[in-house]
Amino acid sequence: MIDLKRISKWVNVGGKPNFILKDINLDIKEGEFVSIMGPSGSGKSSLLNIIGMLDDSSEGEYFFLGQGVHGLKEKQRSQLYKQYIGFVFQAYHLIDELTVYENIETPLIYQNIKGSERQAMVADILDRFQIVGKKDLFPTQLSGGQQQLVGIARALIGKPKLLLADEPTGNLNSRQGEEIMDLFKQLNNEGVTIIQVTHSEKNAAYGSRIINLLDGRIDNFN
Amino acid sequence: MLKNYLKIAFRNLTKYKFISFINLFGLTIGITCCLLILTYIVHEESYDRYNTKADRIWRVTRSFNNKEGIVSLHLGAVAPPFAPYLQNDFPDIQKITRILPNGTSAFHYEDKIFNEKDINFADNNLFSVFDVPLIKGDRTTALEQPFTMVMTEAIAKKYFGDADPINKVVRLDNQYNFRVSAIMAPLPENSHFHADILLSFNTLKDSAIYGEKGLMTNWGNNAFYTYLLFPENYPAKTLEERFPAFLDRHMAGDDGYGKGSKPSTLTRLYLQQLTDIHLHSHLDEELEQNGDSGRVTIFGAIALFILLIACINYMNLSTARSTLRAREIGIRKVSGAQRGEIITQFLTESVLISFVATLLAVVLTILTLPSINDLTGLHLSAHILQQPTIIALLVVTPIVVGILSGLYPALFLSSFQPVKVLKGLFKAGSNTVNFRKVLVVLQFAISIVLLISTAIVFQQLHYMQNAALGFDKEHILTMGYPNGLYKNYESFRTTLLQDPHVLQVTRSSRIPTGRLLDEQGASTESGDSLRPVTADIKYVAVDHDFLKTYGIPVVAGRDYSRDYSTDSTGFLLNVAATKVLGVKTPQEMVGRHFSYGGVKGRVVGIMRDFNFESMHQAILPIIFIIPSAAQAANNYGNISIKLAGSDIKASVAYVEKTWKRFLPETPFEYTFLDDRFDKLYKSEQQQGSLFTTFAGIAIFIACLGLLGLSAFSISQRIKEIGVRKVLGASTGSIVTLLSTDFLRLVAIASLIAFPIAWYAMHNWLRDFAYRISIEWWVFLGAGILAAAVALVTISIQAIKAAVANPVKALRSE
Repeated sequence: MIDLKRISKWVNVGGKPNFILKDINLDIKEGEFVSIMGPSGSGKSSLLNIIGMLDDSSEGEYFFLGQGVHGLKEKQRSQLYKQYIGFVFQAYHLIDELTVYENIETPLIYQNIKGSERQAMVADILDRFQIVGKKDLFPTQLSGGQQQLVGIARALIGKPKLLLADEPTGNLNSRQGEEIMDLFKQLNNEGVTIIQVTHSEKNAAYGSRIINLLDGRIDNFN
Repeated sequence: MLKNYLKIAFRNLTKYKFISFINLFGLTIGITCCLLILTYIVHEESYDRYNTKADRIWRVTRSFNNKEGIVSLHLGAVAPPFAPYLQNDFPDIQKITRILPNGTSAFHYEDKIFNEKDINFADNNLFSVFDVPLIKGDRTTALEQPFTMVMTEAIAKKYFGDADPINKVVRLDNQYNFRVSAIMAPLPENSHFHADILLSFNTLKDSAIYGEKGLMTNWGNNAFYTYLLFPENYPAKTLEERFPAFLDRHMAGDDGYGKGSKPSTLTRLYLQQLTDIHLHSHLDEELEQNGDSGRVTIFGAIALFILLIACINYMNLSTARSTLRAREIGIRKVSGAQRGEIITQFLTESVLISFVATLLAVVLTILTLPSINDLTGLHLSAHILQQPTIIALLVVTPIVVGILSGLYPALFLSSFQPVKVLKGLFKAGSNTVNFRKVLVVLQFAISIVLLISTAIVFQQLHYMQNAALGFDKEHILTMGYPNGLYKNYESFRTTLLQDPHVLQVTRSSRIPTGRLLDEQGASTESGDSLRPVTADIKYVAVDHDFLKTYGIPVVAGRDYSRDYSTDSTGFLLNVAATKVLGVKTPQEMVGRHFSYGGVKGRVVGIMRDFNFESMHQAILPIIFIIPSAAQAANNYGNISIKLAGSDIKASVAYVEKTWKRFLPETPFEYTFLDDRFDKLYKSEQQQGSLFTTFAGIAIFIACLGLLGLSAFSISQRIKEIGVRKVLGASTGSIVTLLSTDFLRLVAIASLIAFPIAWYAMHNWLRDFAYRISIEWWVFLGAGILAAAVALVTISIQAIKAAVANPVKALRSE
C-alpha cells in the first residue's frame, strides 16, 4: 500500500541542510497496524506527515496504492488523501464552533455526499461509538477521551483505507488511552490499515509492527 | 454545504461579539452613507426625466459678448421674438413653448389677498411639451384665451374653499382680472421649475402689457424661458451652427444693432437639453437654483471612502484574528477541503455580514432621511429606494461589499498549511502585519483629508459671513416695490420717515445679495467728444438715498443730493469702474462728461468698492443712475429701509401699518438684508454640515477598527507586558510602548493626507473670488486631532492591559 523509497527531508539552517529524515525506505502492506516509535525530534511526526501527504519530502519517491505521490500537485494529492486517509491528532483538533454531529459530518461535506446520505452515515458511526446522546454537544462540553472518540469517528466517517494517528492517546489518561487502543485494534481487525506515532511501549504493542526512528533514520538494531 | 457555511459563520459572529459588532456596525454605517448619497444622486439625476418627451426637449439660451468675444453674460432665458422666428425658420421644431416668470404677485379674490411666489406666464403649448397633468379643464385650450389662468388644487382651495374653481375670477396685482380655466397637478419636486399658477401667455399680447408688436420686436427683454420640442433622435445640437445667420437675418437694424450689422458677433444662441439643466446649467439667470454635478461627485466619493474604511476594518480584524481560525482551517483541509472551498466559506461569512449590514442600513436610511433633509434642505424621499435600479443595487451590495472586504482575508486564511497550524508551528506572517498597517494608514489618511476639508469649508464660510462688505448690512429691511406705489412713493417715504426709528428709505433696481446683470453701453469724455468704453460696467438704478441707506462711503466728489436738480442725469461710479476707465485717481473722473445707456450727464461722485454680489463674485465696475420719471416704473423693483435698531419690532410694525395704508391690495412681505446674506451661503453651509457629519463618521469607524485591532494586538503581547511589569516597568511606560506603534501610523497617514487635502481644497476655494488662504496650522490641527482620537482609542485597551496583575498573565501561559 505504502512504498517509501530513499525518502529524505531537510531544512536549511544557516545555509547547511539539517536532516529531519534521512534515506527512509519503508514498505507497509494493506491491513498492517504499524507503530512508529522514537525519542523526541527523531522525525516520527515528519514521517507521518509525509505519509499523510500533508508535507513534501525533499528527496525520494513515495508510492501510495501504486501511484507516485511525489510528482502530484497539491490539489491531486488532496483528492487522494480525501478519499483514502483519515487523520487522528494528539490534541483532537475538533472545530469548537461545530457540534459533535457537525464535526463528524465535515469530511463528508467536502466529498460532496448528499445530505440524506450524510445523515445516515453519521448516525451509523455515532451509534457504533455509542455517542448518540452527545451528538448535539460542543467539543468543550466533552472530556478528553470523548473528544478523541469524536476525532476518530470523524477520521473514519469517509471510510478510509488508512488511518494515521499522531500520538492519539498523548493527552489522555491511561484508562481512556486503553479504550482508544482497543478501538484501534478492533478497526484494524476490520481491515483498516493503521499507522500510529507513539511514545508508549504499551501502545506500540497493539500494533503488528514497530518501526524505531533515531535521528531521522530507521533504527534496525533495536 | 452552504448551510454548513452559514451555520459556522453565524456561530463565529455570535462567539466573537465585540469584533462582530465592530464589523457589522462599521459596514452598516458605511452602507447607510452610500444609500443616503445614492438616494441624493438618483434624485438629482432624475430631474425633469418624468417628462415623457424629456429627451426631445431643448432650451434656448443666449450669451452676450464684447468685441473680443469674451462672454460677459449668459442667460437661460431669451427675448420673446426668438420663439416665433425660430418656429418659422426651423420647420423641424415641432413645438415651442415659453415661460415668463412673473415674480411674487398678489392675488385677490373676494376678501382674500395672498402673495403667490411661483407665478409664470406660459404658452398653451406647455401642456403638450411638458407633462403637466390637468385635474379639471381641457388641456388643449386651458391657456388659449388671454386673461385665463391654471392653478394647482392647493391654491384653488386657498381662495375658493370647496367651491368649484372653474370660471372663478381672481385679480392680479390689483390690475388685471384672470379667469380660472383649469386645475393642474403640482409639478414634481424633481422639476427644474415649479408653478403654483400659470397665466396665459396670450395675455401679454394685450396692448396695455407688451402688445403683439412689442413681443415681436423687443430683443432686449431676455426673460422668456423658451423650450423647443424636436422629433425623436433629432440632432438638435447641430442647429447651433445655423443660429448666427439666423440672428443676423432677424436682428440687424433692430434694437441697438445697426442695419447691415452682424449681431452674431455680439450675441449667440445655444441649445441645452432639458435633462442637463438641473445638474449642468449654471447660467446667470435660471428659473430656480440648480443642482451641482461637482457636489454630487464629491459626496459620492466620500460615501465610497467611508464604505472603504468599513471594509478595511473587516479585512484588518479578520486577518488579525487569523490565529483563532487557523486550526479550523487546518482541520478542514485535512478533512479534504480544497482551497476554493475554504475561500468560499470565508466569503460566505463576509457576504452574510454584509447582507445583515445592508438590511440594517436600509432601515437606518429610512430613519435618518428626515434629518438629512433638514440638514441639507433637500426633499429626498425613501420611495426612491423602491426604484428597480436601487433594488438591484441593494441585492448586489452585500455581494460586492462582502467580496471587497472578505476576499483578502479569505485568500490569506485559505493559504494556511495544515501541517503547520495543526502542529503548533503557526505564526501569523509579518507580511500581513505590514499589510494591516498600510490599511490603517489608508483609513486615517482618508479621515484626516475629511477633517482638513471640513475645517477649511467652515473657515471660508466664516470669512464670507464676517468679511467687511464695504457697507453696513445691519438693520436693513428689504421688500418689493409694487407698481401701485409708483405715484405715491414720495408721500410713502415721508410718512415712513416720520417714525424716528426709520432712518433712511430708498428704492433701487437691485439690492446687495442680488446679481449684477444689467448693462448698457457707456461713453466717456475724451477731448471734446465722447469715446465708447470697451469695458463692461453694470448699472443699478437707485435714488438719492441709496448710499445713505447702505452707508457706502464716497471717496471723491459727492453723494446724490436733492439740492441739485441736475443729479437726475448724474452718475456715481465705484472705484473698480474708474480703474477700467483708465484714470489714475478716482478724483480725475469727478465732474467729467459721461454717457450711459444713451443718457448724457456728469459723474458726480466715486464710491468706495463694496461687495454687491456674493463672495463668489469679484467686485465689478458699477455705475449708479437715477432713472428718469418715465423710466422709473420699469426700473425700480426693491425698497430698502434702514432702521435704528433699537426697537426693531415696533419699527417693522410701523412700516407694515404705513404699507397697508398705501398699498391695501398688496400683502406686506419683507426680509432683513443679513438674512439674505446668510441664504447666499446656504449651499456652503450645507456642505459644511455634511462634511462635518461625514468626517465624524469616517474617523469614528476608523477608530472602531483601531479599537479592535489594538485590543487584539495587545492580547497577543499580554505575556510580554507581564514580564516587563515584573521587571519593574511603570504603567505609563507600557501604555507608551503599546501606543507608539499606532501613533506612528497616524503620523504617516497625516503626511499622505496633507498634500491631497491641500490640493482638493485649493481647487474648491477657486470658486470664490474672495477666499481665505490655506493655513498650515489647519493641517497640523487635523493631524493632532486624529492622533488624539486614536490615542484615546488605543489607551482604553493599553491601560487595561498595563494595570492588570502580571501574575495572571504569566500564569495563564
